Amino acid sequence: IETARIFDFEEFPKRDRVTYMYYTGRLEVFNENFPAADQKLSYALMHCNPRRESNIRMILKYLIPVKLSMGILPTKSLLEKYNLFEYENVLQALKRGDPRLLRHALQEHEDQFLRSGVYLVLEKLELQVYQRLVKKIYFIQRQKDPNKAHQIKLEVIVKALQWLEVDMDIDEVECIMAILINKSLVKGYFAHKSKVAVVSKQDPFPRLNGKPVGS
Amino acid sequence: EVKEGKEITQQWEDDWDDDDVNDDFSLQLKRELENNAEKK
Repeated sequence: IETARIFDFEEFPKRDRVTYMYYTGRLEVFNENFPAADQKLSYALMHCNPRRESNIRMILKYLIPVKLSMGILPTKSLLEKYNLFEYENVLQALKRGDPRLLRHALQEHEDQFLRSGVYLVLEKLELQVYQRLVKKIYFIQRQKDPNKAHQIKLEVIVKALQWLEVDMDIDEVECIMAILINKSLVKGYFAHKSKVAVVSKQDPFPRLNGKPVGS
Repeated sequence: EVKEGKEITQQWEDDWDDDDVNDDFSLQLKRELENNAEKK
């Protein structure tokens, strides 16, 4: 490790640099250091031989979950071009705010995701999915009554989840909301007694925009 | 080669999280929540 500093990374042959970035990038995925993983895997993707589609696929299998965990989605055409259909429903679940679909998507390709080791990364997308769902409820309320939209009854979230066949009681929903607030996915506070979450009037659902979910 | 690499890096979107609630899922959710509100 010491001697490596003498060499300029860019002096190594390109294919070695790509291989190095691919494997160290994967390591960063397992360390849950997503910005570093993003940087390394993106480097590998940028510099790998574009004719080796199987290599691109291998890189994307890790880069996609990394990007997703920071709120960035691959386009449909990217999934299609490299035959990565296992991510289609995951994307759909995020866009909709549909925790049922996310669970379904993870179950459907469980073997594959477990084998590549990204299952745990994808499982954590659940928080973003809940954020999206609460956000949709907020927008629906705002259409109806803009003055009251920032007060979200926990009961309403329970009902939305019931509709999605996700069985959660009001305490569990309160817990989820607390996590969302704690992770800065929702700006707001609780009125615990009245079981209402009050979200900020300014940017109540901050986007990740390429940053990992806060802890 | 570089061009192809660039093409791949442009295949990401970070503005998917829009304010639009006119998709099928949202409209159904809306109906569901309104139904529930009426029942009470």
